[in-house]
Amino acid sequence: MNVLTLVWIASAFFLGFGIYFMPSLTRPLALLAGFFSLGYGLALGVQPEPVVLRLLDSFGVGLFLDSLTSFFIITNALVTIAVIFTLWESDKTPFFFTQILILHGSVNGAFASTDWISLYVALEVVGIAAFLLITYPRNERVIWVGLRYLLISNVAMLFYLVGAVLVYESHHSFDFVGLGEAPPEAVALLFLGLLVKGGIFTLGFWLPMTHATAEAPVSALLSGVVVKAAVLPLIRCALLVAAVEPLVRGVGVGTALLGVGFALFESDVKRVLAWSTTSQMGFILAAPEVGGFYALAHGLVKAALFLLAGQLPSRDVRELAQQGIPRTLGIPLALASFSISGFPLLAGFGAKVLTMKNLLPWQVGGMTGAAVGTAAIYASSFFLPWTRTPTSLPRGFWAAMAVLLGGLLVANGVYYEAFTWGNIVKPLGIIAGGWGLYWGVVRRLQVRLPRFLEQLEHLLGMMSVGLVVLFWLAWSW
Amino acid sequence: MGVILEAWVFATILCGFLGILWKQNLIMKVLAMDVMSTGVIAYYVVSAARGGVFTPIFLPQRQVAYADPVPQAVILTAIVIGLSIQALMLVGVMKLSRYHPTLDVRDIEMKNSP
Repeated sequence: MNVLTLVWIASAFFLGFGIYFMPSLTRPLALLAGFFSLGYGLALGVQPEPVVLRLLDSFGVGLFLDSLTSFFIITNALVTIAVIFTLWESDKTPFFFTQILILHGSVNGAFASTDWISLYVALEVVGIAAFLLITYPRNERVIWVGLRYLLISNVAMLFYLVGAVLVYESHHSFDFVGLGEAPPEAVALLFLGLLVKGGIFTLGFWLPMTHATAEAPVSALLSGVVVKAAVLPLIRCALLVAAVEPLVRGVGVGTALLGVGFALFESDVKRVLAWSTTSQMGFILAAPEVGGFYALAHGLVKAALFLLAGQLPSRDVRELAQQGIPRTLGIPLALASFSISGFPLLAGFGAKVLTMKNLLPWQVGGMTGAAVGTAAIYASSFFLPWTRTPTSLPRGFWAAMAVLLGGLLVANGVYYEAFTWGNIVKPLGIIAGGWGLYWGVVRRLQVRLPRFLEQLEHLLGMMSVGLVVLFWLAWSW
Repeated sequence: MGVILEAWVFATILCGFLGILWKQNLIMKVLAMDVMSTGVIAYYVVSAARGGVFTPIFLPQRQVAYADPVPQAVILTAIVIGLSIQALMLVGVMKLSRYHPTLDVRDIEMKNSP
């Protein structure tokens, strides 16, 4: 398994650069990398003991992969495969596919690493690859959005580096466990970096514009897997260091509510989906022990939704409600919306039940509210009128939908114990509440929330505020 | 002595961050980011020199206080990454200013916000 792990870590990069030597094999090579990751993730999932690789000597640099990691790797593999299927008939150059594979490989690296420096390298490579994917169309707006993303994430990672050396000074290794002995300012600095990268809480205001401006397949990658590269380390820290667990759980509840609150008042489809990503990251963090399954359910759904949003005739919800959507798109849209609202027989249901079971008493109220809000956000997609106008969609798109929605059905079996009457009634009540909220309140409101917090200055200013608040939290806990 | 060095290093980091925050010119923002990253790199070097300042190449006949090789080794990666991101961003700024000849962040933001 150790050799396989090393081969797998390197494979995405080798295949990615291999595309440049064999441009005619671009798409098969990219697909090969995706399926290799999928196979490795499944093999890791059934492996009883975790894979631990250590660099020589005691600096804590190494890799650690267990069943929690396997969920994230499978998510990454399935989303990448789906995106490659979607782009199969497009005229994207080999450069684009190389970037997808580099992104895939570096996200896998971030999942596998168990020390602050390997994680730093992986996250920075993720940032560069994501920038190149976002700016691929090279018009003015995407370049600005990409630059903004790179500036914010790089500044956050500089703070993170200071935190990493503080951990090294107190523990003489870069291992995640060293966080337990590190001073509170190290916790604040490291978490600032991870929270900004993951688009979490008030530090994640860069996320909606970035995810909404990118092209649909790129948004699917960004929302489906890239933000999770920073979320898994947070979960890992919460599990390894008891002192930061309440911090992670608290941030999770705050993020879930914040994302839902903004998504409810948004009328642009892609921005709704982006805000919903923020809130779903909160669900993953709120119950760190079981976050892996939730991440899988969310990654598949969100990738499917972004790919669907790319095919819709308009991006404005009100316009869609008037002119309707083709029925061929309506069915997968309804399926995906059911899963993310937590309807039984789809993976979202099992994930939500599992998360709700592992909450602490003080989290239950907030998370139930966020779940009702999530159902309300996606309620609108059920009330869109379906038209009979036939649309010609590429076959690759349907293959992607089959991978993502099929994955949701299969993943449902991971936690089949969820199917008890008590478990089924509660999510149905939450969905009913959410639909009621949508039908009674949200549909009638014409509120436009201010967007000044998404300006570059405010994003940077929020970072300094976030640093102070995180320091205070880490210090008082 | 170490405390004074550390204070200067933090001052550099802070100056860089304030520059990113306050400068309106996009190129100045990118350069301020480089100042900040210089500060961070210097902090690693100061941290490595805590136990001694001699090059960490071990010779049996030499009994001196060696510097800690680990922070120096890892910061090398960060230097390379910082340089490449810097280069990438400057190319982006160039492209951007060619579409719309200004470098003022507020102008660009106003024009490109939906």
